[in-house]
Amino acid sequence: MELLTLFFIVLIAAGLGLLIQWLPMRHQPMPTYPQRAPFLGGGLPETHAWNRYHVRYYPMTLLLIAFEMEMMFMYPWAVVFVEQGMKAVMEMGMFLAILSVGIVYGWREGVFKWQ
Amino acid sequence: MAVSWLSRLAAQATVPVFPVRGMHGEPVLHRLALAAGIELVDSPRHASILLVAGGVPPDQHDALRRVHDQLPTPFATLWYRSEPLDELAGATRVDDPDALPEALKTIHRELMSGKRGSSPRLLPDEPPNPWEGLGDDGHGGEGMMGGVPYGRPMAMNMTDDIRDGLTLDSLTVTLGPFLPMLPPGLTAEVTLQGDLIQSWTTHSAPYPIALESAFFQALQGPVPIAELERARARYHLKRLHFGLRLAGLERLALEALRLAFEPHPGQNRVMALRRRLVRSGFFRLTTTGRGRLDENQARRVGGIAARAAGLEEDWRSGDEGYRHLNFRPLTQREGDTAARWHQTLAEIEQALQLAGQAERDAVHTRRSDGVETPRGPWGEYRPEDASGVLEELLPGLEWDEAMSTLASLDLAPLSPWSLEETSEAPVPTSVEERRA
Repeated sequence: MELLTLFFIVLIAAGLGLLIQWLPMRHQPMPTYPQRAPFLGGGLPETHAWNRYHVRYYPMTLLLIAFEMEMMFMYPWAVVFVEQGMKAVMEMGMFLAILSVGIVYGWREGVFKWQ
Repeated sequence: MAVSWLSRLAAQATVPVFPVRGMHGEPVLHRLALAAGIELVDSPRHASILLVAGGVPPDQHDALRRVHDQLPTPFATLWYRSEPLDELAGATRVDDPDALPEALKTIHRELMSGKRGSSPRLLPDEPPNPWEGLGDDGHGGEGMMGGVPYGRPMAMNMTDDIRDGLTLDSLTVTLGPFLPMLPPGLTAEVTLQGDLIQSWTTHSAPYPIALESAFFQALQGPVPIAELERARARYHLKRLHFGLRLAGLERLALEALRLAFEPHPGQNRVMALRRRLVRSGFFRLTTTGRGRLDENQARRVGGIAARAAGLEEDWRSGDEGYRHLNFRPLTQREGDTAARWHQTLAEIEQALQLAGQAERDAVHTRRSDGVETPRGPWGEYRPEDASGVLEELLPGLEWDEAMSTLASLDLAPLSPWSLEETSEAPVPTSVEERRA
């Protein structure tokens, strides 16, 4: 019953959203092809924009994850540590050692150099 | 009806105008930038009125048609001192700069209330090339390679990145002549790899810029130095307005423009502007050393660019009148983008200081065989187009660095007519006269 109510709420919300978008647009013609072209101040693109692009901050994001994962597990670990003692320290040590391999690798590849 | 009150509200809103900067169209756009109720937008997609300010050469009419067709309906065009395209023969034309803001507001009101129909589309509503539908993804080719989706070949040229050698696709586009971030009239073919400029080929030079008549009079005989220097300060302040607007510092840009329109701008106002620029981080926007001109390039560009690169070249040094005022050319050492903006501000302050001094002592220029224009020395020859330096300067820069470098350089040739002549002379109205 609750699921059914939820389903109706989602249906009504989506319907209203679409209606609000459709009402002002119903008499508008589709934009023409020249209107849809990228604006280059009167110039034209010579190649398609569908190309491979290097995300240059990618190594930085991986490094962030390596650091962040450590912190993410350290909070629940702090609770468990009180109960488990030395065993928890060993486990965390192993976990950190594995992650630091990633950081050391990143270091070797020059991730920490600001370009 | 809901739509009617929405239209009434829209009619009272600020008028979004996309300006096409034609020949000698800049002065009126500076006035419009300060006009109340009008917003000059940077993309035709945000505009309801296309304002063609100044003449557009016939070979750029196709580019103008493309820009015209990129405005969303309903939209209208207004032609300021420019002949409408043949297809838009009935479009409104205004030649009086004072009547322009009101004309724009009236057109916008009529457009929003439905009294005026939208401007017709000039280009056929067809894809540049019909959809091929080939390949698994319908991208016009086989597999992931090749094909011409929507008429444009895939970027498959695979050139080495000049930044770090990473081989990736590059994207080639033709920019201009009406791109707001480029000087009006400049057209260039640019190859980009990501945000890095791989190559830059200038196809057409920027339109000539007109200077105030004081500089022309200085070539005929003595003129009051105060008049000449104030005109110089006004010119640089307007350029600063462009640079600040590009940097997204809209309020500071308007402040610079307001100073340019004051009859006697105070030196302390410019110093206050400089302090605000430092605080806003304007000089730190460009990485130090980017856009550096070598000696030859600096000499080719001349004026501020030359002095920012350490060349102590100024026609004023040889003038008795200026020597009486203890004039010494200011220079910077680095010759990069930040140095050019520092030099621009220093020269604005210097010009206002010289103007104040010269007015007190009623000093006139003595030399009339040449004049130091804000664009560079004008002796035997007028400063010419220097956009050729971009081909050497811009490759290797990231897009934002390239654009701020471009804004800091004054590359357009000088017009043989003065600003007053270009804005007051009758404009040929018929097609025959225009062609003549």
